[in-house]
Amino acid sequence: MTEKKGLGEVQTAAPGEELRLRPGESELDAFMPSRRMTVNLGPSHPAMHGVTRAVVELDGEIIREMKLDIGFLHRGFEKSCENVTWTQCFPYTDRLNYVSSIMNNVGFALAVEKLCKLDVPERAKYLRVITSELHRICDHLTLVGAMGMELGAMTVFLYAVEARDIIWDRLAELCGARLTSNYARVGGVARDAPEGWVEKTGKTLDRVKGYVDEIDGLLSRNRIFIDRTRGTGVVPREDAIELGFTGPCLRASGEPFDLRKAAPYLVYDRVDFDIPVGTNGDNFDRYQMRMEEMRQADRIIRQCFTQMEPGEIAVQDFRYVLPPKPLVYGTIEGLMAHFKIIMEGIQVPAGEAYSYTEAANGELGFYVVSDGGGRPYKLGLRAPGWPMLAALPFMTKDSLLSDLIPTFDSINMIGGEVEQ
Amino acid sequence: MNRLIGMVVLIGAVVAGLVGLSAAFYLAAGGLAWVFAEYLGAPPSFGAAIANVVTLMLVVMMISGSLLTVAERKWSAMMQNRIGANRIKVLGSALGGIPFLAADALKMLTKESAPPRGRTRVLYEMAPALAFAPVFALFAIIPLGPPIPLGAIVDSAAGALGSAGVALQVASPDAGLLYIFAISSLAVYGTSLAGWASNNKLALLGGVRASSQMISYEVSLGLSLVGTMLAYRTLRLEEMVTAQGLAVLGPVPALGILLQPVGFLIFFASAFAETKRAPFDLPEGESEIVGYFVEYSGMKFGLMFLAEFVEIVVLSAIITAVFLGGWHPIVVSTEWLRQTVTPLWFGAICGGAFLAKMIVLMWLQLTIRWLLPRFRFDQIQKLCWKILLPAAIANIFITAGALLLDPSMQLLAWIGVATIVIIGAITAAVGRAPAPGEHDHAAAHAVAGH
Repeated sequence: MTEKKGLGEVQTAAPGEELRLRPGESELDAFMPSRRMTVNLGPSHPAMHGVTRAVVELDGEIIREMKLDIGFLHRGFEKSCENVTWTQCFPYTDRLNYVSSIMNNVGFALAVEKLCKLDVPERAKYLRVITSELHRICDHLTLVGAMGMELGAMTVFLYAVEARDIIWDRLAELCGARLTSNYARVGGVARDAPEGWVEKTGKTLDRVKGYVDEIDGLLSRNRIFIDRTRGTGVVPREDAIELGFTGPCLRASGEPFDLRKAAPYLVYDRVDFDIPVGTNGDNFDRYQMRMEEMRQADRIIRQCFTQMEPGEIAVQDFRYVLPPKPLVYGTIEGLMAHFKIIMEGIQVPAGEAYSYTEAANGELGFYVVSDGGGRPYKLGLRAPGWPMLAALPFMTKDSLLSDLIPTFDSINMIGGEVEQ
Repeated sequence: MNRLIGMVVLIGAVVAGLVGLSAAFYLAAGGLAWVFAEYLGAPPSFGAAIANVVTLMLVVMMISGSLLTVAERKWSAMMQNRIGANRIKVLGSALGGIPFLAADALKMLTKESAPPRGRTRVLYEMAPALAFAPVFALFAIIPLGPPIPLGAIVDSAAGALGSAGVALQVASPDAGLLYIFAISSLAVYGTSLAGWASNNKLALLGGVRASSQMISYEVSLGLSLVGTMLAYRTLRLEEMVTAQGLAVLGPVPALGILLQPVGFLIFFASAFAETKRAPFDLPEGESEIVGYFVEYSGMKFGLMFLAEFVEIVVLSAIITAVFLGGWHPIVVSTEWLRQTVTPLWFGAICGGAFLAKMIVLMWLQLTIRWLLPRFRFDQIQKLCWKILLPAAIANIFITAGALLLDPSMQLLAWIGVATIVIIGAITAAVGRAPAPGEHDHAAAHAVAGH
């Protein structure tokens, strides 16, 4: 009687067959064939951050099928990197996950340093961890705020944005930019922390903690918020592993996997922090992971502040790092090194390497191939948000249209990284 | 300390302004009543009603409705550590954002209307009016001030004419509260037709959500007020207000909120759902389905937007009249006041008290709107049919039983006091903030990883 067609068309009943009664069946009990409605959410829709298009097939308000359409933000990141020097790739990585750009910088720098077999100075490692964790807080604040806002709690969003803003102030003092902060370099970091920055950042973190507690008070015990997020968008542990989840979304499902613990890089083995692990894998657990990770990031940063000692912020090897300006203008070796790095790029030994870091949304992987020249021969990116976004149709199948919103928020899809 | 003094002065000024405003309304109503009676031979209630339509429905309701748009911006800004609308400056001062009123109106009126293709033309054009008109008409039966003799307003009115009562109320039908139910249930047509006629799937979803939500909540809305009807033995709002001035427990007046705390909560929740504002803003749900008015632009949208704010005003007015003692200035005894000041000032102070209570309730609604997230569709129905409706029915039976046992309402008042205490205790126990150690790392347990 009904024939199923592809997405974009409705399930139809032949004319005259709408109410065919079986023997002994009253009109009230008769099966009424309903038609599905295909609704196009996006690419410009308030809930679709960035520009994503979701074509949902609705039965009443229940999502029966969903098709995701990405690519509205595609910039050809991987290909663009092949045309610029290794150093010039850094600004491109900023635009991947634009809410936590320094994490991408660090991931890329680690990949190149693996090829170059460089070990960066201690202070640079600490600064990289500090800025990464600051950006982890920013990223999680964005998620929590956006989740609150799209569930109707606008006030939460503005608290989160204000907290993020004061962190950006500190990052701007460090690297000059607020949004696309560009801090890590091959062989170290761009600049040392200015005088008094550590104390100022400590105070900023106190304020951020205040905001986080306030958001916690507004949402974590809010009946409506819990009703909206508990039991929606559930991904059981096995499914989460099968679907390739990483990061907070995987941990929310109960799998205690965090690259900072599993394969510590930089100085993560020297600081003491906990990994929150959820049990249900629903939206509320994913939200809780973010809230707790912000507190843990706070702990990490404070420990780094006490452990960090003055010293070099980049390797003193002018094949990889620009020499200081007095050397460039005063000596022929300095000038040559400067010229070579700028014009030809860092000569990275031929080979391939994969760097994995725990970015805010999960494992951020950079696969780089070098032919020994100044530019990447090939570059591949494992965007942390992509597996979660790809699982969205699975997570929202047969749930209400309203559940799509917190689910879409809690995976923290960032257009820049999944569309590369 | 300076801040405290400033706030006290501000509140005093606002209350004084409201009293002055009510006095002006009485003068207008009395004046027009006298003119009609003297020169046209019409009954004085005729002229008073016409004056009240202008002053109460156009001035009070429309102005407070449009001021609420600014108030919402400013109040939400205060809640969110922002400054709020302040870019329009008149002689170098932002005037608290009030010039935005004019700017918004101008913007709405001059915007291009972009009607969608394939719309159902008549219904599409009619929907904003259908959304706005019923809400507007609701205000007609609100008793804003007590009746005072015409002679006290206009000196030259004497005799029978002088003793005719002038009240700040447009109409006083026998049906009273039933009028409210009847008219407020018409409001659903505007929203569902807007969704239906727009030829837009998202708008259609919004319209369907609106109709199911509003029709469901109408049931608990109606049943929640049955208790008050039983207690005060009347449907007329002005008689309810008068009854609320009588003492029931010693000097404590028989306020609706005291006799019917459960009815108050149910009515507030249901009426809030009828206004379609957060946390009940599913028909709009801007992050999900954008809203039933997604295809409306310009002043057509403005009318729907304004209807929402006018609903706030009307809801505050009804709650004030039914549950908060109406125009009785609770802080001082009404009888004492009646004997102390002249009738005109007595009316003016009572009217000011009504308006002040309304302002507090509007503020409460704005606060709730900016504090809470949105419900889900099935949860909103569950709340209505499984919680509010049984509670309302139980409330009716308990109220009726208590009144049967003790017609003097004292037993009912004691039950109300007990309910308030119980609700307060439950709220204090459940709403307690968790101790710091309890949840600091509740979600976290250290795991070393693989």
